[in-house]
Amino acid sequence: MTDLQQYPPQDQWHDHASLDAKAWPNRVETHHSLIPTTCFNCEAACGLLAYVNHETRQIDKIEGNPLHPASRGRNCAKGPATLNQVNDTERILYPMRRVGARGSGRWERVSWDEALSDIGARIAAALDEGRHNSVMYHVGRPGEDGYADRVLKAWGVDGHNSHTNICSSNARIGYQSWMGHDRPSSDFANAEVIFLISSHLEAGHYFNPHAQRIIEAQAKGATVICVDPRLSNTGAKADHWLAAWPGTEPFLLLTIARLLIENGAWEREFVRRWVNWETYLRETRPDLRLEFESLETALLDAYAEYTPDAAEEVCGIDGGQLREIAEIIGAHPTKFASHNWRAAGAGNLGGWQTARCLFFLNVLTGSVATVGGTSGNGWNKFKPTQPKGAPPLHQWNELSWPREYPLSYHEMSILLPHFLNEGRGTLDVYFSRVYNPVWTNPDGFSWLEALTDESKVRCHVALTPTWSETAWYADYVLPMGVGTERHDVASFETHNGRWIGFRQPVMRRYAQLRGETLGPDTRSREFNPGEVSEENEFWIDLSWRIDPDGTRGIRKWFESDERPGTPISVDEYYGTMFAESVPGLADAAAEAGKTPLEYMRDTGSFAVPGDMVTPYERTVAPEATAQCHKGADQVYRKPGTIAAWDGTPEHLAEITLADLGEGSPAVEVDGEAKEGFPTPSKKLELFSTTLADWGWPEYAAPTWIKSHVHHQDLDLAGNERILLPTFRIPTLIHTRSANSKWLNEISHRHPLWIHPSDAEKLGIEENGLVRVSTRIGHFVIQAWRTEGIRPGVVAASHHMGRWRIEEDKARSWSAGKARIDRIDDGDGGQCWKLTRTDGIRRFDSDDPDSRRIWWNDTGVHQNLTFSVQPDPISGMQCWLQRVRVAPAESGDQYGDVVVDTAKSREAYHQWLSMTRPAPGPGGLRRPLWYARPLKPAAEMYHLPDS
Amino acid sequence: MTRLGFLLDSDSCIGCHACTVACKSEHDVPLGVNRTWVKYVETGSFPNVSRHFSVMRCNHCDDAPCISICPTNALFRADNGVVDFNDDNCIGCKGCMNACPYDAVYINPATNTAHKCNFCNHRIDDGLEPSCVIVCPTHAIKVADLDDPLNPATKIIARADVAVRAPEQGTNPKVYYRGADQASLNPLRTAIADDGMIWADTTPDHPSVPADSSGVVARTTYTTSHQMTWTTKVSAYLVTKAISAGVMAVAALLVLLGHAGEMAAVGVVPPMLAGFFLALTGVLLVADLKQPSRFHYLITRGSWDSWLVKGAYVLAAFAAVSAAWWVAGIAEAPDVLRVLALPVALCAAAAAGYTAMLFAQCEGRDLWQTPLLLPTLLAQAVTAGAACYSILDLFVEVPETDAIRWAFLGGVCATAALIAVEATSAGTPHVEAAVHQMIRGSYRARFWFGVLVGLLTPGCVLVIALAVGSGAPLVAAAGVAAIAGMWAYEDSFVRAGQSVPLS
Repeated sequence: MTDLQQYPPQDQWHDHASLDAKAWPNRVETHHSLIPTTCFNCEAACGLLAYVNHETRQIDKIEGNPLHPASRGRNCAKGPATLNQVNDTERILYPMRRVGARGSGRWERVSWDEALSDIGARIAAALDEGRHNSVMYHVGRPGEDGYADRVLKAWGVDGHNSHTNICSSNARIGYQSWMGHDRPSSDFANAEVIFLISSHLEAGHYFNPHAQRIIEAQAKGATVICVDPRLSNTGAKADHWLAAWPGTEPFLLLTIARLLIENGAWEREFVRRWVNWETYLRETRPDLRLEFESLETALLDAYAEYTPDAAEEVCGIDGGQLREIAEIIGAHPTKFASHNWRAAGAGNLGGWQTARCLFFLNVLTGSVATVGGTSGNGWNKFKPTQPKGAPPLHQWNELSWPREYPLSYHEMSILLPHFLNEGRGTLDVYFSRVYNPVWTNPDGFSWLEALTDESKVRCHVALTPTWSETAWYADYVLPMGVGTERHDVASFETHNGRWIGFRQPVMRRYAQLRGETLGPDTRSREFNPGEVSEENEFWIDLSWRIDPDGTRGIRKWFESDERPGTPISVDEYYGTMFAESVPGLADAAAEAGKTPLEYMRDTGSFAVPGDMVTPYERTVAPEATAQCHKGADQVYRKPGTIAAWDGTPEHLAEITLADLGEGSPAVEVDGEAKEGFPTPSKKLELFSTTLADWGWPEYAAPTWIKSHVHHQDLDLAGNERILLPTFRIPTLIHTRSANSKWLNEISHRHPLWIHPSDAEKLGIEENGLVRVSTRIGHFVIQAWRTEGIRPGVVAASHHMGRWRIEEDKARSWSAGKARIDRIDDGDGGQCWKLTRTDGIRRFDSDDPDSRRIWWNDTGVHQNLTFSVQPDPISGMQCWLQRVRVAPAESGDQYGDVVVDTAKSREAYHQWLSMTRPAPGPGGLRRPLWYARPLKPAAEMYHLPDS
Repeated sequence: MTRLGFLLDSDSCIGCHACTVACKSEHDVPLGVNRTWVKYVETGSFPNVSRHFSVMRCNHCDDAPCISICPTNALFRADNGVVDFNDDNCIGCKGCMNACPYDAVYINPATNTAHKCNFCNHRIDDGLEPSCVIVCPTHAIKVADLDDPLNPATKIIARADVAVRAPEQGTNPKVYYRGADQASLNPLRTAIADDGMIWADTTPDHPSVPADSSGVVARTTYTTSHQMTWTTKVSAYLVTKAISAGVMAVAALLVLLGHAGEMAAVGVVPPMLAGFFLALTGVLLVADLKQPSRFHYLITRGSWDSWLVKGAYVLAAFAAVSAAWWVAGIAEAPDVLRVLALPVALCAAAAAGYTAMLFAQCEGRDLWQTPLLLPTLLAQAVTAGAACYSILDLFVEVPETDAIRWAFLGGVCATAALIAVEATSAGTPHVEAAVHQMIRGSYRARFWFGVLVGLLTPGCVLVIALAVGSGAPLVAAAGVAAIAGMWAYEDSFVRAGQSVPLS
């Protein structure tokens, strides 16, 4: 056998002759151009190669990009399924404007010109009238690094709102409170022990790149440990699956931490050098001598209650198994790779301690940014500077950054409808961008109420590749491209290495390869299906409409340097970025005889050179610390940075905020100036002074916070249970995969996982309908008995339960037909009711497969019944639900959802009352060093009335 | 030489379904059918529970039953050992789907031809790995050249603990599993529970043994659907063919008994009746093809390995001798009938019985491979022939009615005895599962109708009629009952044979 290759050699990518699969065994040659781009499904941003057929000028298939350093030519199911998203017969091809009432489903096609002019005029009016905070860009999947931020900054608008607090707030604050980086970068491939509080073999950031490397390590002998109350595919592959009681994960981790210390299996020298143990001892144990030797005593005392026996009681995990795991971890110093992003972190009140306690194990084993350890995203993610960046904002939007949540990570997006309802603000223009809060967020009926109130949201623009429940309530639905139809640059900390990936509109690139001249006025929508656009160009064109003559000071940030007075082109934009701000790229391009832009268009990705192993140990040159003042904590404080702030509001104007940390260049360790960590102490913070100073001293060190769904507080003898509603399925991605027939064919069913013993106790029959009641309503779902879940916990996956109101509009491969009514709740109040009138059915379209749909289930929209439950510190929606589980009542139908939004508001107020609002020290709204999208100028951090 | 196979590494497989989708994309596979998929099974009880993944697909058998049964060389062995297919030749007879013991072949609804994994042979020809191999995040699918001992995957197959699916079928499969849960490779050891699968609907096309069957040790939580392919038309064809062959066999018997001169009851009406039912047989066979207009490929592109082709010639020969019989009957030439009696009897037996050889080629249907099928088919033909004569007796003068009734009774008794033996013998788990479905499961109504109406009732009527020596109308009614019952039984047999999950 001749050696088989994975991909055609790169020198054939502009014209590769392949044999037609359908004609085979007749040898019919087809010529393709192989054009690299980046997947736009999950955040991993894996490389893709689109095969453009020279004859039909269509994309025939989408494979992986072998040059991509993270995905290495491989993909999950969602990569090749991008083809479905391109060819989906139900996709939105033209800009649409609503003609009836909001949500009435009556639309007219408008030109891009009309849409841009109207929206531009609205924004211009808002800015002219000082309503900067009424312009909001609410992003679900960014899929890019910094472009939208640049646009908002140029507009002078603090309008970035994100999906972070339904996703990763807790993990972020957990990691950031240790090392300044708010995201883990695990070197799974070289690890000897892998500890996952996640399901990284099937979902999450970054599923495919991580799964490759986790399995690679396991094959080399690494032990994989997975904590999850439900048997995920990851749990199934793990050597140890620990189905701890939800919310007790920090307890379990601290038990292991204590065992490591007890066993003497911790890296004392690493901890001595790199942990702020002096602060810890000073703040928690003033009774002990301030020397490193005291730390062991202090820790053993602090964590005395975290014993294997106690863990058995609290977590429901066998103590012996924990001892075994602690021994395995202790035997592999510096090679412990761990990860938590959502899972327990996103589920629980105090869930941020999951990441904090998990990373504690990395610290104790010295596995921080080592080969085989866990690093910080700031080191492995490479973010090139966006050209033409405006100065920091002079705005602070309290709709996103309310004073009740000074430490939130990030915007309090789940509370937006409640804030609007309370009159905290109104929105002139609200962009929902690849974001579906009506469906995805908790308390969707409150979103529906807000979005249909034109006095609160004057213009809602949905930027989306596909129909969604939220787009249904928009004024404009503007079609934006999928992975093969848009420009973006992205980079993620997928492994021990740095890279950037370039997404590009494939047919546009194809036209260029075939010799078409693309001028600066060329737009990607000329090459995409219908008039599907891309955001880069949309923002340039919209900004131009907001400030057509440059008098608002906005236009200049979108103006071409080469052709003054005209808008910058994407080629010019990325040409500048690639030529100037990616180390090594210009040289690699020159070697290939190409411009950096051309090189990226041909390769789709670039591995940024450089070694990022233990970067904190890098010695800092004396000139970098020349003007600094070294504090008692050995930190070199630089004038003009946060670390040098004198605490007065006036001085803030002289402070420049660093992207990460306080901006101090070095810390002295054992007499040497080292780069350290981007934390205030420049060390790993066992004791977080920020948390203590901002009102939470009891949580300053890693600890366990009892969850809002703690099992010992539940009426488990009765019908109270914990609902796990967030788990993901390997083939689906939130509400964006609805337009892929292949993905929905594989996964479309949505049963409630329940342990047989629970089903018996609760009188729930096999396949029986179940009524799951939350604080604000209930939903009706079908039971699925499985041994793969902890008794006491029930679970239903995220993704399912999509709906549409009209038979032939907003249709997809996953949305059932539904009706929404207001009903009397019997107590004189009004409730919302969503009734499922049909599952998925066959329909006529240009794709014969729509007549071959063989499944019916579309699931139940459970998120509607969840109240907002923001963690008082991080702002994270605590997704796990305390529910009552009972057989369905008479009249209950599968898919029913009933919600009382008055109860939603009650719940909102109760959770709000748990906060400890700003101002913090110095009268600030938020710690200056905390990460934040669109960091405004430092003086904006000062609360005016404090 | 090159001899390609797959190493499917369940140790590495994470159950992500990327291979499924990449394959759908590479080959534009419609919804509802799959060339490859990932099966999930779950074992154990909390907290000692696990989920196992194994990739299912064509096994590219060295002794591929799908190639043997394929009547038109649509399925063929490529030079590199791959079992490949050529759409241009496929008549859509679905024989391959019953021959394959791995559920690997399907009818593509877009082309109405049989498709399956062909190892992406168009890519192999280009020097590229199959699309499922390159997409796999964890390199769990590897290409092995089994003739190259230095090939890395071949080395693993040689040294590691690997398994194949259904080795007992003797197909010499070339897809090897490492680390697979044994139950996941044996579809009778795992079942879809009554409350269905993990994230896909369960339809009647998702075959499974009942969850409480003995031997089931794991739960199937994800698999794909597989349509039953041979149904009403095939069971009807068995009956029409039995009638046709049986009538001529009885006619030949009457000639041997010295009634060559009775042209109506021997020379003319029987071949007309046989011709009609033979034509009906042909119509049913052609109508069952997914590409009926290509039926002549059986002759023009025929493969002599296939009993579908041999059967076509048998039926043609039978048609020819029956036609000759009819001409002799019209021409009132009893001597010719005497000459034709033996060839007609032999051809009738061949026509009635060849299906046993065809079904024996269906390696995926163990029930059909019973050695009792040939005698059963012959006994059924005698029953059908005698039953027809009993009905004919109402309209024309039929000689030797007692002999015919004895033949009728003999056929019924023999069939009953054969079915009883079949139903009560120990068999492979596959056969027992099929028998269970036939007698006590989904097809029990048809089966018992076949037994009571098709065998017991006519048997009793015949005993009485023979005892009292009259009752032609009653015997004729028994004839109708026997034929109706025969169809019901055949339908239960045909369907039960296909009811056992193969994947």
